[in-house]
Amino acid sequence: MAVTERKTVPVTVLTGYLGSGKTTLLNRILTDEHGQKIAVIMNEFGAVGIDNQLVIDVDEEIFEMNNGCICCTVRGDLIRIINHLMKRRDKFDRLIIETTGLADPAPVIQTFFVDDEVRNQVRLDAVITVVDARHIWQHWEAEEAIEQIAFADVILLNKIDLVTEVELEALERRIRGMNAIAKIFRTRDAQIETATILGVNAFDLNHALQIDPDFLNETAHEHDETVGSLALVEAGELDGDKLNAWLGELLRDRGPDIFRMKGILNLAGEDCRFVFQGVHMLFDGCQDRPWKPDESRTNELVFIGRNLEQMNLADSLRACLVEQNI
Amino acid sequence: MASKTKDRDLLEFQWYTALSDYITAIAWSPDGTWFAVSSAAGEVVQCVEKTKTVTVLQAAQGTSIDALAVSGDGVFLAAGGQAGAVLVWRLDGHAPTQILALDQSHIWIDRLQWNPHHPELAYGFGRHVQVWSATQQSAIADLNFESSSVLDLAWHPSGDRLAASGNQSIKTWWRHAWEEAPMVQQLGGASEAIAWSPDGHYLASGNNDRSVMVWQDGNPFPWQMRGFPGKVRQLAWSEPHQSISAPLLASICGEGVVVWTKDCDPSIGWDAQVLDLHQGSVRAIAFQPQSLQLASAADDGWLCLWRKASRLTQLFEGAPTGFSCLAWQPQGKTLAAGGGQGEVLVWTQTTTGQGFG
Repeated sequence: MAVTERKTVPVTVLTGYLGSGKTTLLNRILTDEHGQKIAVIMNEFGAVGIDNQLVIDVDEEIFEMNNGCICCTVRGDLIRIINHLMKRRDKFDRLIIETTGLADPAPVIQTFFVDDEVRNQVRLDAVITVVDARHIWQHWEAEEAIEQIAFADVILLNKIDLVTEVELEALERRIRGMNAIAKIFRTRDAQIETATILGVNAFDLNHALQIDPDFLNETAHEHDETVGSLALVEAGELDGDKLNAWLGELLRDRGPDIFRMKGILNLAGEDCRFVFQGVHMLFDGCQDRPWKPDESRTNELVFIGRNLEQMNLADSLRACLVEQNI
Repeated sequence: MASKTKDRDLLEFQWYTALSDYITAIAWSPDGTWFAVSSAAGEVVQCVEKTKTVTVLQAAQGTSIDALAVSGDGVFLAAGGQAGAVLVWRLDGHAPTQILALDQSHIWIDRLQWNPHHPELAYGFGRHVQVWSATQQSAIADLNFESSSVLDLAWHPSGDRLAASGNQSIKTWWRHAWEEAPMVQQLGGASEAIAWSPDGHYLASGNNDRSVMVWQDGNPFPWQMRGFPGKVRQLAWSEPHQSISAPLLASICGEGVVVWTKDCDPSIGWDAQVLDLHQGSVRAIAFQPQSLQLASAADDGWLCLWRKASRLTQLFEGAPTGFSCLAWQPQGKTLAAGGGQGEVLVWTQTTTGQGFG
């Protein structure tokens, strides 16, 4: 047999507004002594020019695959360049994609799940968003700024030296309300240990869901935003058929408003955990490890999206529970 | 020689050479005496088939060359690649002379093709197609595709028009009136590959929405072929043949090759046959000229020959990390293929036609 198993190259997506410290972070990653050879795809001419690192700049291009459905949009420029770069896959260990501050993160993420050629060669590691703690309030009106935070797996609250602790805490609360699954780091000059933001495996289904316990404990979230997070924790066994029907309908009807979702489920009749994640209408799920004997079998789901409170998520989930004979 | 025996002729390994990186393209001269090869390290070489001599036109230099084309008269070789590279050599003198060298852009040039009857080179340049004349040594047309980057382009076999494909459409310009608005064919997705049948009657498009579309000359309504498991990345037409009503159309998607045959009954349309032997992404397909034999090369390291585009007759190895491209000599006697680590392999037809029954 001539087949050799090829390993996929991890991809880190770096987003954030111009001036947030995104380029500083990129330079830090490139010059850090992590021993990785990195190829960078940029959508804007930046001040990055490191010897021996491959930097390619391309113009952002959105391709539709299904007559304009937003869940089926991909980034044509990334598909083309990744396929070219992967011919020399032995020349680098990681890809970093730096998007402009105005880029919609959804097509970038969807590219790694929808395009079969890309999916065969690379895997999305994490979306990192750099937020300018001082100036972000000027951008709350901008959809891109909100979505970059909502889609992130890692958020750097940068320039913390320019704001007070009180402001910082308020900002962090607001961001946590929008995105309950991201890891949030406070930084100055984007100073952070590279190892903590590379190799996050945020899209790896076998990575357990991590909801900030503070988020779960908070009883009242700030709902001044239309974009928010909702975490559901429910004991009991779920009826697989009912769950399928609910999620199918939800994604079909509300897919454009659901940015991301993740979950660990306890399906009736199964000894293993069922894990899933989704980006808009794209849904990916599989059987995970067996439940441990001492583990409480609870269902945990997190949704990030727009107008979630209108979707009756908690009631709908409860309606999928297998009725218990008391 | 009767065509039946000709179909049975087998290929035999002839020779091997190597470049330093992934082979990105192979292009034959029209008379079949030489072919050019390019690599992801930016190498461009000319290989003379009979003497097995290799002339380096450009050495490895860090940025890739991704597309090659030889002009219809065999005089010019064009190469395109990373960093906006467009290179043209004149090859009819004692030594190859470079007559064009553009590399002033961040746009990656990965599609270029000569007009089959005139020394005019079309290449995709971002959202534009540039047409450069080797006679005038200058650009003669700048066609704005608009909707996206140009993903593929193809001259009609008669040379009188040029089609370019991208997101949501295929646009075709007439050579005698470049300045006029192109004819537009709408698509639901993006067209990654287009191909005219050698007789010029059909235009096919392989799309990212997992479909193939085929237009017949003069009919605005295309056939749509669906059911692919992924995007359709490459297409190849056979030449017309007395045994079939229309040329065969081969398409690649993931690890599969799908061959489409037009049914004699027009109401049925096209019938599919899946060639599903490969165990890695199929990288290239091409019909042997003057024959219905199809060659397919894949990441699994196999190069397969399919008699009448349906039955496996020969299987070659020689590129352990996978084959990346292939090209038949226009006379159909010789096949050249490239590999992921710079391998270049050549097979030639044996005259004894014995073996597989």
